[in-house]
Amino acid sequence: MGSLIRLENVSKHYGKFMALQRVNLEVAEGEVVSVIGPSGSGKSTLIRCINLLEQYDDSGKITVNGTVVRKGADLKNVRANVGMVFQNFNLFPHMTILENVKLAPMRVDEISTEVATKRALTLLDNVGISDQADKYPGQLSGGQQQRVAIARALAMEPKILLFDEPTSALDPEMVGEVLNVIRKLADEGVTMIVVTHEMAFARQVSDRVIFMDAGQIVESGTPTDIFDATREPRTLAFLKNVLEH
Amino acid sequence: MYFQKLILKFVLILMSLATYLAPISAASRDENVLIVGANIGNVPWEFQDTAGELIGFEIDLVNEVAKRLNREIEIINIPFNGLFSAVQSSRIDIAISSITITEQRLTSVSFAQPYYDSDQSLTIRSDSNITSVNDLQDEVVAVDTGSTGDIWASENQQQYGFKEIRRYEGIAPAALDLQIGRVAGYISDIPAMQYYTKDKPELKVVERIRTGGSYSMMFRKDDELALSVNEIITTLKQEGLVNELHNKWFGVLAEESTSTAKVTAMPGVKAGLLLNFMDTFLNKAVFVETLPMLLLGLTTTLKLGLASIVIGLFFGLLLALNRLYAPAIARVIAKVYIDVFRSIPLLVLLIVIFYALPFVGISLSPFTAAATALIIVSSAYTAEIFRSGIEAIPKGQFEASQALGLSFAHMMKDVILPQATRIVIPPLTNNSINVIKDTALASVVAMPDLLKQATQAQAIAANPTPLIAAAGIYLLVLLPMVLAVSHLEKKYSKRNQ
Ligand SMILES: Nc1ncnc2c1ncn2[C@@H]1O[C@H](COP(=O)(O)OP(=O)(O)OP(=O)(O)O)[C@@H](O)[C@H]1O
Ligand SMILES: [Mg+2]
Repeated sequence: MGSLIRLENVSKHYGKFMALQRVNLEVAEGEVVSVIGPSGSGKSTLIRCINLLEQYDDSGKITVNGTVVRKGADLKNVRANVGMVFQNFNLFPHMTILENVKLAPMRVDEISTEVATKRALTLLDNVGISDQADKYPGQLSGGQQQRVAIARALAMEPKILLFDEPTSALDPEMVGEVLNVIRKLADEGVTMIVVTHEMAFARQVSDRVIFMDAGQIVESGTPTDIFDATREPRTLAFLKNVLEH
Repeated sequence: MYFQKLILKFVLILMSLATYLAPISAASRDENVLIVGANIGNVPWEFQDTAGELIGFEIDLVNEVAKRLNREIEIINIPFNGLFSAVQSSRIDIAISSITITEQRLTSVSFAQPYYDSDQSLTIRSDSNITSVNDLQDEVVAVDTGSTGDIWASENQQQYGFKEIRRYEGIAPAALDLQIGRVAGYISDIPAMQYYTKDKPELKVVERIRTGGSYSMMFRKDDELALSVNEIITTLKQEGLVNELHNKWFGVLAEESTSTAKVTAMPGVKAGLLLNFMDTFLNKAVFVETLPMLLLGLTTTLKLGLASIVIGLFFGLLLALNRLYAPAIARVIAKVYIDVFRSIPLLVLLIVIFYALPFVGISLSPFTAAATALIIVSSAYTAEIFRSGIEAIPKGQFEASQALGLSFAHMMKDVILPQATRIVIPPLTNNSINVIKDTALASVVAMPDLLKQATQAQAIAANPTPLIAAAGIYLLVLLPMVLAVSHLEKKYSKRNQ
């Protein structure tokens, strides 16, 4: 079966510093992959290369659904296929919740206002905040804002969702509501890569867990492989560190 | 709070204006020094020789007068239309500048007896076939702001069908525009123009315009000094010294019947009242008479201001986007443009555009020249405002837009600029206020804007009321904008908390 996302030999330089070092990765359709690892290990860089928020070195190659991810005419297709949810939500503060969700479908897919509104309301209903549609992001709690951000990403009907620490900016009591939404999406078979510090969530939801360190994928396996059976010293050190806190 | 501060500021300005112009300043200076104001450059009356020494008919005369008064003398350079308020406020004791004695001026100032009988003249380019003012139908004519030529041209505009009267601050810029061809003729004092064109074959005085009118020294109204100087001039005429000066500067002696040779009476004092503060600065009759002129000037100012603001905004945004996102070369060009035009004084740019560009074949009308200069500078400032506004938008907003697949244009239009606009509205409004204020500089390119109209009106009436009125009009237009800025700033700072 074909991979939806394929990274071949992907490196990323910031000047002399290598944030990614010859990374290879394939993600199959419907697969849920969690990425864990210490701070600065390149987790964000990895997923930001997939929709080209960061340019990766010419030596490597990323394809999404068969399309090479590079600057140019095809980038539009890639971004239409890849939704992203950020740690800090990044909602558009001057637009209502509803407008946030329907902007991209109307502008990119040129869908009519009526259809876009209807679809947006359905999506907001799915994440449990259709009653807030006319409010502005600033009037919502962090958890609510992140659920809106997920709805906004889903509005483009992407094949893949990328999450970059979606719960790290939230107060603890709001983490659950966001994770539940993501869990639901996982159950529905949405392909996703989730960078997270929530180990319990990673164990529970993921088909595969990737451990990164120093710009490299150190190991990759089922949650059991990584959390219970790893022999890799760096993974052990990381897990020990995380579980102690 | 802000409003109160503003009112306070305005009152302070008025007070300083009043002390600046009020007669009390006379007390604070050396009584023995006679201070003379003159529009230096007005040949052959008062100008500088190549060594920078002040020379001229009236310079010689006033020096002799000071000697006879047993007083030291200091001569300061004041533009023609500033001489009236300068004597009225006693900033100077005597004004010279081939000032014509008129009935209207006599209501606000005093003159000694005349020492030169003059007429106006028409000067043209030597290669034109205009021979008299009758040939100036549908042509643009140049005059000196508020001068006798200005008064004559305004009164006779209909009769001769002048298309437009353009008002300049002195001979040099008017003569330049005559040479360039932006004006067809220049109406000015005949002695000055005869002297000025002496060594300029490209210009020619073709007609004497008999306006009559005689020159004399001007004083604050009912100043006793006028009487003493008048007596000295009588003596100097009897000694033949005034006519000697005529011979020195014009190469011939004046005829016996002229005021240069003959002793005459001191011009009659009109309405013997000493003008008080109200009559001088807030003269109702002058105000009513000049208001239509001022409103015409306001229209020009607003047209120029609005055109410059709107077009400047457009180009400023374009520049800012280039500066931020264009390929390297365009980015550098935008940066250089922005930096250069924020460093060049607007006045310099305006003079270059209006007076220098014609030499490379680009001759713009005063309005176009003024608008071009204002737009060039305003767009540079606007670009920086937009840039800082755009840069203040968090990176996440750009990334979220890109991740959603929005095109660059949509990202800007729907996400970035609407947010940036809120940030930049207060500084942009500030910039707009500056643009409107800067339109006043357009007076130098003979644009009849509010300030120009006001200076012209005050020179003709010899009364500063039109200037005060113009200040009031600027305030009426700009104060609401200033208040709006502070309101908006307060509103946005609250929202961001
Ligand atoms: N724009 C940049 N310029 C220079 N170095 C950068 C830049 N962005 C990231 N880096 C570096 O690249 C490395 C990987 O960063 P990345 O953000 O991918 O780490 P991360 O695993 O997501 O860490 P965290 O858990 O803290 O989010 C880090 O050492 C970081 O300092
Ligand atoms: Mg990160």
